[in-house]
Formats: sequence, C-alpha cells, structure tokens
Amino acid sequence: MVAAEVETEQIQLIKGDITLLEVDALVFYAQPNLELGSGFGTAISIRGGPAVKKELEGLGPIETGEAIVTGAGNLKASYIVHAVGPRFLEENTEEKLRTTILNTLKCAEEAGAKSIAFPPMGSGFYGIPLDLCSRLLVELVSGYLKTSANLTQAIVCVQDSREYEPFRKELSNVTGWRRG
Amino acid sequence: MKKSTAEDSRSHKAQVVVDRLGEKLNRQIVGSLVACVHCGLCTDSCHYVLSNPGDPTYAPAYKADRIRKIFKRHYDWTGRVFPWLVGAETIMTDEELEELKDIAFGKCTNCRRCSLNCPMGVDFATVNRMTRGLLVSVGIMPEGVATVSKDQWEIGNQMGVLKEDYLETLEWMEEELQDELDDPSARIPVDKRDCAVVYSINPREAKYDPRTIGDAAKIFHAAGEDWTMPSDGWDMTNFGLFSGDDELGGAVARHLFDRVQELGGKKLVISECGHGYRSTRCEAPNWAKYDVPFEMESSVETMLRYVKEGRIKLDKTRNSEPVTFHDSCNLARSCGMTEEPRELLNLVCTDFREMYPNREENYCCTGGGGAMSMSEYTPRRLKSGKIKAEQLKATGAKVVVTSCHNCVDGLTDVIRHYELDMKVTQLVNLVAEALVIEKPARAPAVAEELPLAGRRIVVADDEPDQLLYLATVMEDYGATVYQAATGDEALELARKEKPDLVTLDLSMPGRPVTEIFELLRSDSELEGLKICLITGRPEMRELIYQRMEIPPDGYLDKPLSEDDLLRGVRKVLELSHQEG
Repeated sequence: MVAAEVETEQIQLIKGDITLLEVDALVFYAQPNLELGSGFGTAISIRGGPAVKKELEGLGPIETGEAIVTGAGNLKASYIVHAVGPRFLEENTEEKLRTTILNTLKCAEEAGAKSIAFPPMGSGFYGIPLDLCSRLLVELVSGYLKTSANLTQAIVCVQDSREYEPFRKELSNVTGWRRG
Repeated sequence: MKKSTAEDSRSHKAQVVVDRLGEKLNRQIVGSLVACVHCGLCTDSCHYVLSNPGDPTYAPAYKADRIRKIFKRHYDWTGRVFPWLVGAETIMTDEELEELKDIAFGKCTNCRRCSLNCPMGVDFATVNRMTRGLLVSVGIMPEGVATVSKDQWEIGNQMGVLKEDYLETLEWMEEELQDELDDPSARIPVDKRDCAVVYSINPREAKYDPRTIGDAAKIFHAAGEDWTMPSDGWDMTNFGLFSGDDELGGAVARHLFDRVQELGGKKLVISECGHGYRSTRCEAPNWAKYDVPFEMESSVETMLRYVKEGRIKLDKTRNSEPVTFHDSCNLARSCGMTEEPRELLNLVCTDFREMYPNREENYCCTGGGGAMSMSEYTPRRLKSGKIKAEQLKATGAKVVVTSCHNCVDGLTDVIRHYELDMKVTQLVNLVAEALVIEKPARAPAVAEELPLAGRRIVVADDEPDQLLYLATVMEDYGATVYQAATGDEALELARKEKPDLVTLDLSMPGRPVTEIFELLRSDSELEGLKICLITGRPEMRELIYQRMEIPPDGYLDKPLSEDDLLRGVRKVLELSHQEG
C-alpha cells in the first residue's frame, strides 16, 4: 500500500475491491438512469442486497456531472455516492469529470461522510484516460480535503498495477507524500 | 466568415470514429482495406451467407466495404481524388454508426474463414474487429457486449463472478472430487506458490459448468502435478478480442500475467477455450506490451503430454459413443492447433469420426466473436447455424467434442434449434471419464444414505417428458418430489407443501416465471426456500439476474445429465458442505 499525506488530511492509494471497503462513502461511477448494471454494479447488487436498487427507484435519470447518495445495503460502507460522469470520449470530458468529482465530494460531505473511497473515475469501461483521471482526482480531492470540515480521509482504490502507477505518480507530487 | 461544410455537421461520435480510424491503421489493416478486388471468393466461405443465400448484405466483401468506404474517403489518396470511382464515402451521423454496429457485431463472428479463403490476403475479421473497437470507444455496442466488458474491466472476469463465489465453487469441486475418489489428498490448491502449473479457466466454468473444473482437478491429481489456481486474476478469457478494445485486452492479460508472476508459477495452463487461448497465448503479450517470462500451453497439450509421459492412464472403452470433433476457429484457424485434440481423442474414445470440412476449414459454431452475449441477434445467429447443423448431422455422431467454451454454448443452441440427437462435451470431460485411478481399499459403508434423502422438492416444467425426467432423477436419489406443469401450480404446491427447493423452467405458459419467482420470494411463509431456475435458453439468464432483486439460488442449463442435475441440486441445497 502507498499512502499520501496532504497536510493534516490523507489520501490513500490501495489495490483491492472497492465494494469491500469499510468507509463512510464509496463512489460508484453510475449510468444516467442509475441502474446498477454490471461490473461494480454486480458486486453492489449481490453483496449489498436489494436495498440499494430499491432506494434508487424513481431517482434517475440524472445529468452528467451530478451525484446522488443512497445507503449501501449490506456492504461495509455506509453510503454509496452514485456519480454520473462523462463516458466514451464525449465532448468536454475534462470539464465534466472535474464537475463530477467535485459534486461527488460535496454529496458525500453533505451526507455526513468522514471517509470516501473512489475508483479510478471513468477509466476502464468508460474510456477516460488514466492520466487524466489520476491527475484530476488527486488534484481535486487533495484540494477539497484541505478545506473540508468533515470529510477527512479519501481512498483511491485501484485494481491492478496498470491503474496503480499513474495514481502513484500523481500522489508523489502532492506535498507531504510518503510511502506507506 | 468561414464557409460551413458538410464536415462541420458530422456528429461528435462520427468524428471520433473517423479520427481514431487513422490511429488504428497499420500495415495489416491497410493491406486488407486496399487489396479487395471483389472477386466474391469469400462469399461462399461465410456461414451467414451459406445459411442466408438470398441476402447479399452478409457477404464479407460487402460488410468490409462499409468501413472501407470511410478509409478511402479519409485516408487513401484514391478516395480523396476520385471518390466516385472507388466508392469513397464519409460517415456523418450516429444512425450510420448504428448501421455499422449491426454489421460489425450482428453479421459476423470474426471466425476468419473468409480471411483464409481470400486470394488477396484480405483479413476481414481483423478489419471487423477494428471496426468494433472504434464503435465501442464511442459507446456504440450491443447491450450484452457492454455488460460483459464492464464485468471484465471491474470485477476482473467477464461473467462478474465474485471472488467469494469463485472460491466457494473451487471448495465445492474439491469436496466432490474427494468424495468421488474417496481420497482426502485430492485437492484444488489455491494460491500455492512456486508451482509447476498455474491453471486458469473461463468464468463460464465457475458459473455454469463447474464439472470442467472438477474434471481438470481430477486429471492434475492423477498426474501427480504440482499445480494451483489463483484466487484472483484467474480468468484467461479476454473480451477485448471480441469487442475490439485493445485497452481491455491489455488490462485483462496484464492482470493474469502479473498474478502468475506473483505466485512464481513456472507455466500457465489455459483451460479448453479457443478465444482464451488465442488471446492469452498469441495476442495479449502485444496488447499488454508484456514480455511474458513463463511458458503457456493449452490444457489440451497438457493432457496429451500426461498421456505420452505415462503420468495418466486412460481406458478409452469408457467413451464408446460415436464422437466427432468441432475445431474452434480461434484454436484451429488462428492458432494452428488442429492435431493435438485429434491425437488425444483417439486415445480417449473408441469411435472418433471426422466432421467435414474440418480443421482450419471448419464452419463456425455460430457462437464465436461474443455472439452468445448479444441476445438481440439470437434469431439471426440460429438461422446462420443451418450449415453447421447439416455438418453435424452428417457425422452420425452422438457426441460433439470441442475445445472451446463459446463453441459449447453455440453448438448446444444449434443442436437444440435444429433438433439434432447430439450432446456437446469437452476433452477434459472425456479424459476425466476415461481416467484409470486405483482407489485405496476401504471397508464398505454399512448403509449409504441417498444424496437427496429427506429433501422435499417442487419441480415445475411444462414439457411432460422433461418434468418426468427431472422428477424421476431426484426421486431416485431420495428426494420427495411434487410435480407442477405451470408456474401457478408450482406456487400452490410450494405454499401447501413448504418444500426445501422449487425448480422453475423459465419458458412455461401462463404467468411469467419472473412473477412466480417474485411471489415465492416475497411469501413470508416460504422464508429459506431455495429456488433454482432451469432454462434451455441461456440468453435469458442475464434478463433474469438484472430484473430480480434477490437472484435465484442457482440455475441449470438444459439438456441436463443426471450427474449435472444432482450436482446442481446439491449445490443449491448446499448439501456438499454439510454432508460432503
């Protein structure tokens, strides 16, 4: 595990399965219609049970850049932030991803979360380049944690070495970074 | 003021496709895009054409022209100078991209039979795969392709099998194996370091066909192999081959290769899967830009090696039904593996009959190229299976063997649709059946209890023969069975008899089975009831799992052998852990 300290706050980079983390809020990169679908959605449906899907009924669709909070059913997390970010090389990807990450952080904080876990937002299936995703996520999360009253810890949870490396590089540029 | 042009009104997605096409061009692709002389020799090599003789839109040259015209217009000088002469055309709208999707995903399985038969060396399958990749990059793809790709990106395997379910399946298979051999040393070692063999599988095996894992374990055990299966990074399939997404292809492969290295494995053995072998062994090192430091081989080669080295002994008389072999396009045409499976077949069964044409000239099973995940094209796929059905029937065989999981599903559908009297199996199953293993001597059990003794089961199926078969097998193994011909009858019987398990056929007349399922699930007096779905239509699984809040406890595919039925029912009732 590599950890990065941002002044008094902390961002951790870990390899693992985000749906198994014991955090206040975990982020799910959602579709506009808020259906859980496959991928992490499969894990949330099966491990979390039917409560999440039920809570989402009637809440969608939402616009790209927006986020909403639900409970996390039987998962170890308390909340899930369903964040709808840009998908598949659409126009103004960077601006939209920036908005999505900031709204996600606000949403989690408003729900009372002290800790939050992010996947590599939109990379992989939705085709957001890893370098863009890692640069924005580290920049925006570290900036947000500096001024946030309640949200004090963030985790970036990646799956493999391919995803790990760009985040490690970005985190190594953050003040106070240390190898954990 | 700038004059507006047609280019300005091109949709964003169409523009991305045009731009990315330029990035994808390499010598192989360009060669295939410029060399076609429209001689038509590819036409009769395509199983879609042969099964739809009146429809020219299935001809490989026609399909290739849909992407060729864009290449000519934007990247070839002939198309820029005299577009009318070379058929150069641009692409402007999302609707045109949808039309391209219908061709790239719905009218070709990338089997490469046309590529083999082109005198100009045009590899249409490679062009088609690139086209798929361009469409996927802008989010235009069949829903099933999106579902499977996302599972493989985020869960790490293309069927979304969670780690706990995978590990539970391995434990279950280990218990079954120990029971069968009466030998507690028969194990499925997980994450064992520095082994001679790391065994990787297709997630279909963990989800729908665990028998193949058990059979492979039996063979490794009999051969005295030092082997292991990874707890993570165990999926050797690669949907990037089908979706054309090289990024996915590289990510999946890297995950698997990293895991073998972390475990210190000497050799990666890839279970019987055509596209898995081609992806992992041949394509993935390029996609992942990975210098693979260990050996890789197909389990077909592994099993054959064990026989030749005298590590396992086979009694071929145990497989006496007439058997034919279906060459997977990825193994035979793309990887040249044609003789190893035949050599092994002749060692493991008594009546092997060739199918014609065979080897690299064989026809597609119809399920390749990810076709099994694209349910919107199922009627088209089944119609295109006519030539395959005729080919299978002509062999007179009762069993068709194939070394590919896609082919297993594709052939099973063709056999069912064309009502052939055949079943599909794999070499691993035949080898396991023929294995000669001397069991340690034990005192006979005084009284052996039947495996389903004391269990109460409602069986629902609208086909009388099927209902009788399921009921008889379960009764023979000790269960008390209540038979229902409709979903409503099953519901009534369940409420009256309070059984341990209800099995539901998915295609019964009357109320939708999904509704019956929900009613059973929501009945407070039936808390703890297990429900198992039995379907002859594998493409329906996804719909059920997506729609149902609490998924069923299990699912089984027809046709069901006695062994598969018993194993499946025991699994759903979780008997293996309590009594195994």
